[in-house]
Amino acid sequence: MKKLLETKNLSLTRNDYCIFSDINLDIQEGQLINIYGKNGAGKTSLLKILAGITEHTDGEIIYHNDLDVSTSWRPTTYIGHKYAIKNNLTAYENLYYSLESSNDEQIILDALEVYKMMDYKDSLIKHLSHGQQKRISLMKIITNFAFLYLIDEPYSSLDEDGIKIFNETVQGLLSTGSSVVITNHTEINNIFPNTINYKI
Amino acid sequence: MNYFTKTINKEFKIASRSGYESLMPVIYLFIIMIFFNISISYVSKNIILELLPLMIWISCLLICILNLETIFKEDFEDGTLDQFLIDDTNKEEGVTAKIVAHWLLSNLPVVIVAPLIAMLLGIDYHTSLILFFSLLIGTPTMSLLGSIAAALTVSLKRNKILMSIIVLPLYIPILIFGTSAVNNSYIGINYHSELLFMGVLFLVFLLIAPTICVKALKVSLD
Repeated sequence: MKKLLETKNLSLTRNDYCIFSDINLDIQEGQLINIYGKNGAGKTSLLKILAGITEHTDGEIIYHNDLDVSTSWRPTTYIGHKYAIKNNLTAYENLYYSLESSNDEQIILDALEVYKMMDYKDSLIKHLSHGQQKRISLMKIITNFAFLYLIDEPYSSLDEDGIKIFNETVQGLLSTGSSVVITNHTEINNIFPNTINYKI
Repeated sequence: MNYFTKTINKEFKIASRSGYESLMPVIYLFIIMIFFNISISYVSKNIILELLPLMIWISCLLICILNLETIFKEDFEDGTLDQFLIDDTNKEEGVTAKIVAHWLLSNLPVVIVAPLIAMLLGIDYHTSLILFFSLLIGTPTMSLLGSIAAALTVSLKRNKILMSIIVLPLYIPILIFGTSAVNNSYIGINYHSELLFMGVLFLVFLLIAPTICVKALKVSLD
């Protein structure tokens, strides 16, 4: 399996307080990594560091750049616990404006279909529930193909059906060779058998 | 639709659904001018006419500072900024589109209305026209410059005062040349060099502000 990213002794310190230290991750093609731990353990910070949004204080991140650039896939898609959607735009418009390079509208319709949100296509986000907003946010996984997906607490606010759809989407991503890193509060062996659980 | 137009289109769509918010700067300008006229109503008409274009200029500058915060704040709060910073798209292009959209929505209405107010209050057509041109060049420069301060302070909760402290000294050259062009026009002497200098300032900040903004946003989100 091709290596996508690895971290060596990654550490984060804020105001002399060590949030985490010596994180050694090895993310390979088609792998699901579940980073779990208690509140304040630094799961979101670690994900943001991997996404390149924030800086680590010590250690090393090695991005393997031998990705197939002939595809329209991007290196990373990050879905944070803020939904990154606009209240005054419709579900469809939010997804359309998040499309990075292509203007392929069919892919948006497909995503709305998969997440069973077609009926809310033209609804403003502010009129949707938190769970529905979360679904719209997670649809960006489908509309923005990437080699590596970094998803912060994907199961929060989702109902049973939403969780099922998300798991199926992740299964689909893994089968196409993408890697997924998620954060969670517990291990998730019962959902994906080959998950690598990493306690932080 | 390319990324630049897509971003501007998106900002316009959001603004069009935000109700009266985009009218606020114009209403604010009207209110300031009413207050100004009330407070100096005892001064002779000639002095008022001389001060009026300058007061309008200062009012526009203050309005420009007041709405600077909105450039990146909403994107920061809803998480869009996080995604923007990791996207592969040209970040400078995205930031420029945001600043352009902000100027079109918040400052252009003021630029259009300000000379009309000046004429209503008795300023001659030519001076009002120069007021319009000086604001047309000056306000985008202020938006570009102000966007850097907005980016630097985006993650702070009460950032308005800090932002004003950062940008006000930097606005001094724009204010000096803007008011000087209007004043020169009023007293009938050459004002071209002032407008030219403002034009140069605008081009310089158009080139450097988006790049500095992207770096400032990264620092702020870290």
